Amino acid sequence: MDFERKEEMCMLEVTHLSCGYTDVPVVKDVSFYVEEGQRLCVLGPNGCGKTTLLRGLVGLLPVTGSVKVQGIDLEGLSAREKSRRIALMSQLSTTYFAYTVYETVMLGRYVHQKRSAFFGETEEDRRIVRENLERVGMFQWKDRPITELSGGQLQRVFLARVFVQEPQVILLDEPTNHLDLKYQLELIEMMKEWAGEEQRCVVGVMHDINLALSFADHILLMEDGAIAACESVKDFDLSLLNSIYKMDVCGFMQESLQRWRQ
Amino acid sequence: MKNKTMLKILLLATAAGIAVLLGIGIGSVFIPPVDILAILGNRLLGRGNTDAVNPIYVSLIMDMRLPRVLLAFLVGAALSASGTVMQSILKNPLASPFGMGISAGAGLGAAVIIVSGATAGILGIFLLPVVSFLSGLLTVVLVMGIAARIDRGLSNTTIILVGMVISLFFSAIMNLLATISPSYAQRINLWQLGSFSMKEWSSIWVLLPVTIICLIGFQCAARELDIMTFGEEQAQSMGVNLKRSKWMLMLCVAVLTGTAVAFAGIIGFVDLITPHVVRRFFGSAHRRVLPASALFGGTFMVLCDLAARTLTPPREIPIGSITALIGVPFFIYIYFGKKKSGQ
Repeated sequence: MDFERKEEMCMLEVTHLSCGYTDVPVVKDVSFYVEEGQRLCVLGPNGCGKTTLLRGLVGLLPVTGSVKVQGIDLEGLSAREKSRRIALMSQLSTTYFAYTVYETVMLGRYVHQKRSAFFGETEEDRRIVRENLERVGMFQWKDRPITELSGGQLQRVFLARVFVQEPQVILLDEPTNHLDLKYQLELIEMMKEWAGEEQRCVVGVMHDINLALSFADHILLMEDGAIAACESVKDFDLSLLNSIYKMDVCGFMQESLQRWRQ
Repeated sequence: MKNKTMLKILLLATAAGIAVLLGIGIGSVFIPPVDILAILGNRLLGRGNTDAVNPIYVSLIMDMRLPRVLLAFLVGAALSASGTVMQSILKNPLASPFGMGISAGAGLGAAVIIVSGATAGILGIFLLPVVSFLSGLLTVVLVMGIAARIDRGLSNTTIILVGMVISLFFSAIMNLLATISPSYAQRINLWQLGSFSMKEWSSIWVLLPVTIICLIGFQCAARELDIMTFGEEQAQSMGVNLKRSKWMLMLCVAVLTGTAVAFAGIIGFVDLITPHVVRRFFGSAHRRVLPASALFGGTFMVLCDLAARTLTPPREIPIGSITALIGVPFFIYIYFGKKKSGQ
């Protein structure tokens, strides 16, 4: 890694992380760290372990090795304490239950609320929910059932829910899937803005390489469960993608560009 | 918004009260609501009855109709709340304790006890509910175990499929039991479609505390349930201790369903439709849906039982048939009515 590590800036530190669904690890001995304000995108072909890595980071899979947020090891923290530090934003999923937009976002405050459901939400919870609904531009829809929203609107609601959880690290698991280009870019702008604030960072998996490059400032390239490269976007050698994806990625992109130039 | 919810709950509670009065009042002998209220009021206040009250009414209410109506209400409430919880845990609107095989498992446990004539000194009246709760719980473990074998990810569709298969399998065993022990056949058959004719105060004193405790437990987990409807992955990353919550809730469901089945037999459908009807009027938030489900389910069951014993006197229609007869058209009306107005 070419960028120098500064202790106080380090938000997320991953050391010798291995994880998988069976005894055979899918992610093999991965180490990297993300500094304050950074947006790291994980790239790599299908099956290289990108999503598995995210699932391991957020604690959905048993892992070996350590994951630290601001120097605190997530191992041994309760589910609530973990979720106050690290949150996962998944790809669009169907919803059967007609919660209102407001109720859905309020659920994100769960990790900060008292255990018993009888205490209910505080004034602070309400303020934070309102602010974040405004931030994603969904405040005027707050009483709408989420089952009646479009995909783009629904993803914005889920983004607000991740924001009100007030984590230091947000993991993005292909959040722009199934969205129109306009909504993809919108979502990415909102994430960028969020990551720019104090004591925050984002680690994302995005399938669209162009989108990833426009979102991230650092790239983590994976091949077969291990790290092939980890560089800042401006130092990243795009031709590396050709060998990892086993196709002429650069050629394809240039061809596409030609089409748009006409 | 808040006042509107309170109003709806009040309306529902009033409907429940009226249903209970009807359930007590209507039968071979009609008892006017005024007399019912007078008798119940006197009993609650510990006063003796005045001469104006017909003593036949008193024994009819206290020995026959009140325990029956209370039993129906409690069973309806227990099954409906369980159904609500199951649908949320499994994130599937088609889930229910009946569909998951919990009811069938509990019923099979009870049937085995009936046929074997087993008695247990210490457990006494608790033997039947404890056995059916345990067999209901075992069924959950069995269903989850088989589902995990088939599909490591334990997807909810697999769980429901396995639940249905196990449910049918257990019903078949119960039929077999009924065939090979003709002397118990009638009782087992009665069990399989449910009945409130085995009304005794002792069953109320077991079911009432169990239901109250489990409902409070559910209410405490209202937010966790809300979060779980968004799927396991999201629930976990939102800070819910999924394993613990899931097992605690499943345990409560097994206790509630098992106890209800022990006293009233296997009654389907109410646990499936109630949550849908209630969500239509109260939204999806569990802090409202759970109490509303219990109230609605109880009311519905009292009315179904009323129909079961008054439509074809002196014969009783099995309660399971009534719930389906009334429930299916009602469900279709509610469900498709919603589809239309929703767009």
